[in-house]
Amino acid sequence: MSLISALAKVHHPGQFGDFEDKKGDDLLKISEKKNLLIVQIVQFKNSNISTDSIDIDGLNLKDTPLNVTFNKNTRILWNGPKNWLLVSSNKDLIKNISLTCKETDFAVTDLSHSRAVIEIEGNYAIEVLKKGSPFNFGVLKKNNSINSLYNNITFTVDLLNDKPFKVRLFALRSFGESLYHSITDSSLEFGYENK
Amino acid sequence: MLYIKCPHCGMRSQNEFSYGGDATIKRPELGKEISDQDWDNFVYNRKSLRGKHWELWQHISGCRQWIKVERDTATHEIFNTLKANEEISL
Repeated sequence: MSLISALAKVHHPGQFGDFEDKKGDDLLKISEKKNLLIVQIVQFKNSNISTDSIDIDGLNLKDTPLNVTFNKNTRILWNGPKNWLLVSSNKDLIKNISLTCKETDFAVTDLSHSRAVIEIEGNYAIEVLKKGSPFNFGVLKKNNSINSLYNNITFTVDLLNDKPFKVRLFALRSFGESLYHSITDSSLEFGYENK
Repeated sequence: MLYIKCPHCGMRSQNEFSYGGDATIKRPELGKEISDQDWDNFVYNRKSLRGKHWELWQHISGCRQWIKVERDTATHEIFNTLKANEEISL
């Protein structure tokens, strides 16, 4: 069975908006990230085990706001108290997670096909986010993540890099196209290239 | 724009929150006989206070946790926020 990505109908290659005379990081690059393993991990309220002892791909579950623990393939985003979103390019990791996070203490849900993932790279990536989100992006540091709104669409932001800015946006798949239109519309004034 | 300090996430816009009613209402004890009037008060009857008031809010577009917020219903000034399981000291 062939899989259709969340933004397959709307994301087309090309350059758009005010892209002329812009080179390198001054031109935004927008892409859809596909084939990622996305897993929600929630520790039950009555569970007493320490998450420091949990080892997923060499990473711990840290219950710290904004925190992202990461390695080359995997990023674990803090999504709320005892609630994490794991994003990995290693699809086989789901077996490891199911073994590590026992079902008596954790709810593990594979969300790989229920999220749309947009990646924006360039010097003005944060400016695009500021146009539609009420969050103060001045406080967001590299390898931080937040949940917020973009033009009233709930989304998750993962700041992968700050020089130049590189952000990954996650939204419910059904809101993916709507979020994509909002993001690309806000990006027109900076000029962007779809990859 | 109104800002609410989520005890889990920090200062966030009110747009990310959803209002959840009076935080001072206590459910009657389980198994205890109560009058229809007390039950009616618990389920339906609310005071519409002017001034400082503890309210429930949910950080629906953030950490999705319920929190308690002390807000002035006349000025909208927010004085304090607590996690849902923390007791209000009146």
